[in-house]
Amino acid sequence: MISTPHVDWFALSPTLALLGAGAVALLGAVLVPRRARRPFGATVCAFGFVGAIAAAALVYGFSADAHGVIGAAIQRDRLGALAEMIIAGAGFLAVWTSATEPMPDDHIAEYYALLAWAGAGMAFLTTASTLMTLFLGLEWFSISLYILCAIDVDLVGSLEAGLKYLIVGGFGSAMLLFGSALVYGATGALRFGEIAHAVAAQHLSHDALLVAGLALVIGGLGFKASAAPFHMWTPDVYEGAPTPVTAFMSAATKTAALVLTLRVLVTAFPQEARLWTLAIAVIACASLAVGNLAALVQRGVKRMLAYSSISHAGFMLIAIAANNALGGRALLYYLVPYSAMSIGSFAVVAARERELNAPVTVENLAGFGWERPLLGISLSVFMLGFAGFPLTGGFVGKFYVFAAAYRHGWTWLVIVGVAATAVSLYYYLGVVRALFMRPSAELQLAPVAGGSPPSERLLQTAVTGALVVTVGSFFAVQPLIEGAKHAAGVLF
Amino acid sequence: MNGPDAVWYLCLAAFLFCTGALGVLIRRSPLIVLLSLEIMLNGSNLALIAFARQHGREDGQIFALAVMAVAASEVVVGLGLIVAMARRRLDLDVDKLRTLRG
Repeated sequence: MISTPHVDWFALSPTLALLGAGAVALLGAVLVPRRARRPFGATVCAFGFVGAIAAAALVYGFSADAHGVIGAAIQRDRLGALAEMIIAGAGFLAVWTSATEPMPDDHIAEYYALLAWAGAGMAFLTTASTLMTLFLGLEWFSISLYILCAIDVDLVGSLEAGLKYLIVGGFGSAMLLFGSALVYGATGALRFGEIAHAVAAQHLSHDALLVAGLALVIGGLGFKASAAPFHMWTPDVYEGAPTPVTAFMSAATKTAALVLTLRVLVTAFPQEARLWTLAIAVIACASLAVGNLAALVQRGVKRMLAYSSISHAGFMLIAIAANNALGGRALLYYLVPYSAMSIGSFAVVAARERELNAPVTVENLAGFGWERPLLGISLSVFMLGFAGFPLTGGFVGKFYVFAAAYRHGWTWLVIVGVAATAVSLYYYLGVVRALFMRPSAELQLAPVAGGSPPSERLLQTAVTGALVVTVGSFFAVQPLIEGAKHAAGVLF
Repeated sequence: MNGPDAVWYLCLAAFLFCTGALGVLIRRSPLIVLLSLEIMLNGSNLALIAFARQHGREDGQIFALAVMAVAASEVVVGLGLIVAMARRRLDLDVDKLRTLRG
């Protein structure tokens, strides 16, 4: 008789729902006739994500007291549950976005299976509470994403994007792993709580091994959250990967990586708070500077959105750097409208891409708002939301982030953030201008012959859903902030 | 019998990690880059195992075993991508992967 830790299946249920959906979708590759594979995979995957949302909501409801489960390898708390809901919601919208993606049918079942598994890995990661589960969760979703980026072998640049992401992502993972090894060496513990305990008990807070390990861990997580100076893979991979995959990556990967960064820094390294808050603040400033300045000169919309996602990583890192309850709340709130706007705008780009059969640039968006009003208006709202205009959740999110930094006493960080927002207006409004204020005579590429644009009801539903969340998160601030408060209350 | 101090293992691990990092940064062939990634991961594994012995705990060794499995799957994906690129006769030189300008 061997003694095994008690397994709390309920705490794992969001991950298990997605794992199961992925397995069923993969079975579709051999059991379902070729014609039915796409609808089958999409349906199973969508149900998986809905199931994960429902399971995470239940876990949220029944986990008022946070506690470690399965030998304290993962943490069952509201922080993880809320992050899982955001990730699963992003995945759900990504499924709708990919429904009409012109991808060859031979690998479509694998595509949906990997999408569900990447979501499962992210859901697992947000609950990780030892350095080991952290690394495993990170690699779990990363490896799925490497394949997803390269899955459309006919698409120019898709394979290249996959290989680049693999090399840079692998480099980041190796950094994180070496950092974990150093932290383990300094403290002799892998669980976050035990690390903090050992540091306090043995007065290790200025131990060279521990500080070096912490720096490498932050760097490794920075690669996944695509924060500068660890961002160089982002524009290339976002541009080369199939657009629905980019949409999913930009929203869900960021959610998982940033929530985990918050969790590991606050629970495992509270004694080094002076060091890491400053380090995160510097990384945030670098991301804001690089993201915004580089986005100014981009013509390709996907590359522009990639740099914009780097700058938003900067905003969310400000919330983490604040290291207070308000910061945690700000991060969790910010992720909701950010994920919706990100997926929504990539979905609109995907629609335009299909129409033109060419990469979308700011020039060839000209007149798109008049041709396809729903998509045009949605994209404008997403852009205004990214820029932080009122009536979108982006405004409240930025407000909370700045409030958190101000409460920490970092007025300079608030000033950097506001300056970055001002710069970002230029390129966000540039897209709105291209959509509505240019005659289509300036259009450089005519839509493919055949008159009316292809009907994309599923994609339009996804865009509408993202629009509802973007605007809804402004009007439903109270319940969302309440939820974020309970989630962040786990840590602070 | 006492072996060398954990510091020596750490030095070797750091040396392996840096060798790997240097390889990823300056070599051009994706195969060598993948190899260098493996060296980085194995350097970390060595550090984990040395520290596990030093602290007299097993969890570091279990971690290292899990890392080996993860590293293997990462390489499988990497090699798969390289084979797919070779089939499409793309240049196998990471400096020439310039359809997407870095």
